[in-house]
Amino acid sequence: MPKILLVEDNEMNRDMLSRRLERKGFEVAMAFDGRQGVEMAKSDGYDLILMDMSLPEIDGWEATRQLRAEPKTQAVPIIALTAHAMAGDRERALEAGCDDYDTKPIELPRLLAKMESLLGKTE
Amino acid sequence: MSDHTHAAERHANPRGAVARRQAALLRLSTAIAAAQDEEAIYRSVVNGLQDEALGYNFLGVFLLDPETGDRVLQASVGWPDVPPDWRVHRGEGLSEQALMDGKLHYTPDVTRESKYLPSLSTGSELDVPLRVDGQTIGVLVVESAEPDAFGEEDFEILTAAANQAAIAVGRARLLVAERLRADEHKALLDTMADLSAELELPRVLQAVLRRAVSLLGVTGGEVAIFEEESQELLVVASQDIGKESTGTRLKLGEGAMGTVARTHEPLIIPSYHEWLGRSGKYADVTVHSVMAAPLLIGRRLVGAIATVHSDPERVFGPEDLRLLNLFAPQAAIAIENARLYTAAQRQKQYFEEVLQNSPVAIVTLDRDYRIYSCNPAFERLFGYASAEAVGRNLDELITTEASRSEAEQYTRDALDRAVHGIGRRRRKDGTMVDVEVLGVPVIVDGERVGLMGLYHDITELLRARQEAEAANSAKSQFLASMSHELRTPLNAIIGYSEMLHEEVTDLGHAQLGDDLEKINTAGRHLLSLINNVLDLSKIEAGRMDLFLEEFDVDAMLDDVVTTARPLVDKNANRLEVRRNAQLGRMRADLTKVRQMLLNLLSNACKFTEKGNIILDVQRRADEEPFEGELIALSVSDTGIGMTEEQMDRLFEAFSQAEASTTSKYGGTGLGLAITRRFCEMMGGDVAVQSAPGEGTTFTVRLPAAVAPSPAGTAAE
Repeated sequence: MPKILLVEDNEMNRDMLSRRLERKGFEVAMAFDGRQGVEMAKSDGYDLILMDMSLPEIDGWEATRQLRAEPKTQAVPIIALTAHAMAGDRERALEAGCDDYDTKPIELPRLLAKMESLLGKTE
Repeated sequence: MSDHTHAAERHANPRGAVARRQAALLRLSTAIAAAQDEEAIYRSVVNGLQDEALGYNFLGVFLLDPETGDRVLQASVGWPDVPPDWRVHRGEGLSEQALMDGKLHYTPDVTRESKYLPSLSTGSELDVPLRVDGQTIGVLVVESAEPDAFGEEDFEILTAAANQAAIAVGRARLLVAERLRADEHKALLDTMADLSAELELPRVLQAVLRRAVSLLGVTGGEVAIFEEESQELLVVASQDIGKESTGTRLKLGEGAMGTVARTHEPLIIPSYHEWLGRSGKYADVTVHSVMAAPLLIGRRLVGAIATVHSDPERVFGPEDLRLLNLFAPQAAIAIENARLYTAAQRQKQYFEEVLQNSPVAIVTLDRDYRIYSCNPAFERLFGYASAEAVGRNLDELITTEASRSEAEQYTRDALDRAVHGIGRRRRKDGTMVDVEVLGVPVIVDGERVGLMGLYHDITELLRARQEAEAANSAKSQFLASMSHELRTPLNAIIGYSEMLHEEVTDLGHAQLGDDLEKINTAGRHLLSLINNVLDLSKIEAGRMDLFLEEFDVDAMLDDVVTTARPLVDKNANRLEVRRNAQLGRMRADLTKVRQMLLNLLSNACKFTEKGNIILDVQRRADEEPFEGELIALSVSDTGIGMTEEQMDRLFEAFSQAEASTTSKYGGTGLGLAITRRFCEMMGGDVAVQSAPGEGTTFTVRLPAAVAPSPAGTAAE
């Protein structure tokens, strides 16, 4: 069962996505901001991280850069979740070291396809 | 018969003497012909006749003085005690008769004549007239101490000698007249040189008149210029005609000058007060006779000149007319030059006035970039007085170290071509001013003599622009944050309705699923509205940037087709994808290309039911107006189609083909407007082909390698 870390500050988004992913059979851990996300990723091993980009404390881009700088987490696939409103988010996310990105609101089948593709690569 | 005079001796007429006389006469002729002037002619006559072979010992040549009627001695031989300029007065002496009737007169015994003026006191005298051009100009007087000393032969010889002398005199006088004319011509040329040196029109006219009066020796005169607009002569200079006529206006044909202005011919009026053509404006003048001439350049009338005699004894003759005819064209040219000069001066004053009053600072530089002149606006803008600025290097004067090289580049470029820019310049007091700079070369007669710079104070404009930019930025910020705020609750609506739909489906409550799907669809529609409005407002504000990247066209198409699949299925349409074998990679804004394609596919699906949708993608080359390769993406459907009129408004924001379609088909009416703007941003275009009931084809063409937009590709 793949272990997923969901870093998301919005409670409803976090609740929705975690519940839907769990229904699809993923084990989901949750972080509320960028700093907590980095700490959790370093201490526990995750198969994939879903990272919101607009986060308090440290934002998703910075968190991703920190994870990529850490040997333990540098190979963990990260999918950036961005709001459509922010043009250029995708480019910046890929630049920061994300493996893929998806826009909110989440279209579950599309996100699942991306997750499966990345999980398949690492296994 | 007496033999103690030569004259008497000749009566013997021996054969050898004849030959000697002929030789002497030949010498006489030669001497007369060789004489250079009148004086020499007369001398050679008397000297030649005194020849031994001819034997005349007492001779004199007198000329008539036309003024007094006196005979004045020109040359003589043999007479004792005669003064060089001996005058024989009217009514005195024997020689007057030859002068009066032009015939030879012989007096055999002078002692019998009361009019005889004693020279030899006794003997005989022969008087031979000197006639030139039919007029008797003088008399040759030959005397002998013997009475009755002359005979027929002497008459012949002396008449021949007098005639020869007369011919020579006539020729000499002609020569003198020609020389005089040449001198006169030179005087005229000198006059003209003086006239040409004058360029101020009133002074030229005064000078023209003064010269004419002195050249012609007249009492006075006046000069008028011809005014094209009024077709009238205006008297502009007047001298000694008995009234001050300056300012008088004459119509063509009016008065002496008006007449010559109309006829283009000079005119002499011997008695002005009897002349029928005189103008009432000159009723009170004291002139007696008038000579007038038009001033013409070619056939063009420039003005007229009139000269007057107030002395009834003086009349104008052909000689005066000749001089005036020489003078008039030169005067006309002088007046015309002065006119042109005056016009040029006015033109110059006009431009100076424009420069002086220009609200824009204007400075002219020489080729070494030194200030040649500057206007008051320049003085006000930079705080330098013109006198301080002239001669200084412009860029040293009004730039700082920071702006020097940029300013110098403008200046150098402006010597070759027009330049335009925005910059900061320094005032005399050290403060800075924001200016718009325009520079152009100054070219005179094909020669680059320097350049002109214009400075426009744009402090106010810049402030207004900054305020506008700030307002615009605030607007964008507001839109961005508002859409974010709207999106968060929308995400919950969309997400939870979708999640619930999944759950109730799993739980087998299918009838609840339909309602949940309606909530979900409405939420998504609202989201797309928000997204489109945001996009469009960003585009309108010029804040939509391009993020160019290279991507694989096939992969992009696969992704788009996957995303569009649910839309295709919804109205039971079939999607066919046609593509070139080698689509390869392209460089463009991936997100925007995808968004455009989805827009077009979504439209096609929306307006087509149970039909075919074809996505056709090709890599092509060299299609106007593209350079190099392009990617053409077209979406065709078999849907309801559109009329020409509907297509016209298609790409405008918030316009669907018909208002009624919105309620039936939904949508924001912004998709195509955004698509067109995106195409333009990437240097491409979008076109539509359609007919009602026959489906629609949209074709987007983009360069295979989109060039970066001038705004750059930096992230926000």
